[in-house]
Amino acid sequence: MTTMSAPAPSSRLRIRWRTVFDRVLVGIALIALWQFGSWWFGAYWLSSPWATAVRFVEQTISGELLRHAGYTLWEAAAGTLIGGVPAVLLPFLLRRHPIMVAILDPFMIGGYGAPKLAFAPLFLLWFGIGMESKIALVAVVIFFIVYFSTLAGVRALDPKLVLMAQIAGASERDIARSIVMPAAVPNIFAGFRIAVPYAIGAAVIAELISSNRGLGYLVQTGAMNFDTTSVFAAIAAATLLVLAANALMNALEALLMRWRPPIQSMMEP
Amino acid sequence: MAGATLLEVRKLGKRFAPRQGREPSPWVIQDLSFSVRDGEFLTIVGPSGAGKSTLLNIIAQTDTATAGEIVFNGATVTTRDPRALKPGIDRRIGYVTQDDNLLPWRSTLDNVLFALEVQGRLNEETRAHSQMLIRAVGLAGFERYYPHELSGGMRKRTALVRTLVYDPPVILMDEPFAAVDAQTRTQLQADLLKLWDLGRKTIIFVTHDITEAIALGDRALVLSRQPSHIAAEHPIPIPRPRNVKDIFALEGFAATYEKIRADVQ
Repeated sequence: MTTMSAPAPSSRLRIRWRTVFDRVLVGIALIALWQFGSWWFGAYWLSSPWATAVRFVEQTISGELLRHAGYTLWEAAAGTLIGGVPAVLLPFLLRRHPIMVAILDPFMIGGYGAPKLAFAPLFLLWFGIGMESKIALVAVVIFFIVYFSTLAGVRALDPKLVLMAQIAGASERDIARSIVMPAAVPNIFAGFRIAVPYAIGAAVIAELISSNRGLGYLVQTGAMNFDTTSVFAAIAAATLLVLAANALMNALEALLMRWRPPIQSMMEP
Repeated sequence: MAGATLLEVRKLGKRFAPRQGREPSPWVIQDLSFSVRDGEFLTIVGPSGAGKSTLLNIIAQTDTATAGEIVFNGATVTTRDPRALKPGIDRRIGYVTQDDNLLPWRSTLDNVLFALEVQGRLNEETRAHSQMLIRAVGLAGFERYYPHELSGGMRKRTALVRTLVYDPPVILMDEPFAAVDAQTRTQLQADLLKLWDLGRKTIIFVTHDITEAIALGDRALVLSRQPSHIAAEHPIPIPRPRNVKDIFALEGFAATYEKIRADVQ
């Protein structure tokens, strides 16, 4: 019983191929624009796509890019875990204490709204220029995003499902484990999906400010040496990290949420 | 047939708490009394908005009563304090609601086993019994399906079996078949009678459909409009087993239908 009727299989396939084709066109146009910009301003200011690709391959083969990407990824992953786990647990612990949620609310909203990247210099001061300061920044950025999406999931719980479970004899513990948790999984996922690119972005930015390794460090040294090719290669690597993390999230989501009805959408043919 | 009185509703009254600064809200239920015998299939017919769901919610203790009491097996179980409510009264009252309220992340089988699981009663025997009930309502082969993959009728059957598996002494049913098409509905009624025949549970079945009330029940109560009370009571003189598909043709149907229709305003 979907409100939107699905297109016939043949036309669906056509839409899919058309989309792939158009995507390639848009990609080529963007690269052409980049190349044109490189000619217009000069390769000294804006490196060309070809030079970037060559540098990317060279640095990958030499292992330099992988080493730095590894540092950034490690910082992002550790920060996501340190910020994400309490952000998921807190709304569950506070579920039966709406007054506590209300007390915390303005502070959480403040934390959510604060420009957390501006804390980077402070964290560098406190935790030094090593990985710790980057992990701290990522954790703070991730925490508020995941907290609010988990809270929304816990709040959106259908009270009728809880009543049904109570009638069947479920304890508070059963309800938390068998009703509240699974019901919130889609929201928790939505939170992490938004948070993961921010995690890698926050790690890179903290490295930009002060570090001796990581993709942000590569960007920074590239810019200082007027080597825009290096800058672009490092940015390309960071983008690939985000895409890979997204693909991992998609796979996990498909595995954990088989129970959800497929969403009919023209946006994802 | 039916045994001693199992559950008694005495002078029940309900009004919802008034909103701040508003007139006191009117009585939804007032002076409502009836009793059910052990093993009886009682149907309650009433117009929409008669407070049918509110009545069942109070019996199931998902809501408080404002006046009167409910006696289960000789003991008063009513409370006025919303925090002291015990939904299902220690698993003595099962409740099949209008919405199926299946857990969307659990398969048919896991939805059916939910109550046994949380009650710590999941074993070889109860599992086999659950499988038997699943087969009895024609859900064999769909055990691993998620609710969104089932038809409306299959979801209703799953909801029904989910309550039957843990064997509560009284089962409340709130228009469980209201949202399905007429043909599926007749089939679900037949399935319900088949299941009921296996154990002869005490059932209080609420509906706005007079035909359904006659097809299923031993006795039908008619609810008045608000503030609702019992307006009339009719024994249903149709012998079992009944063929619900041809219920119209059975002797006694037409006369009972006319009597109930006259009482339902």
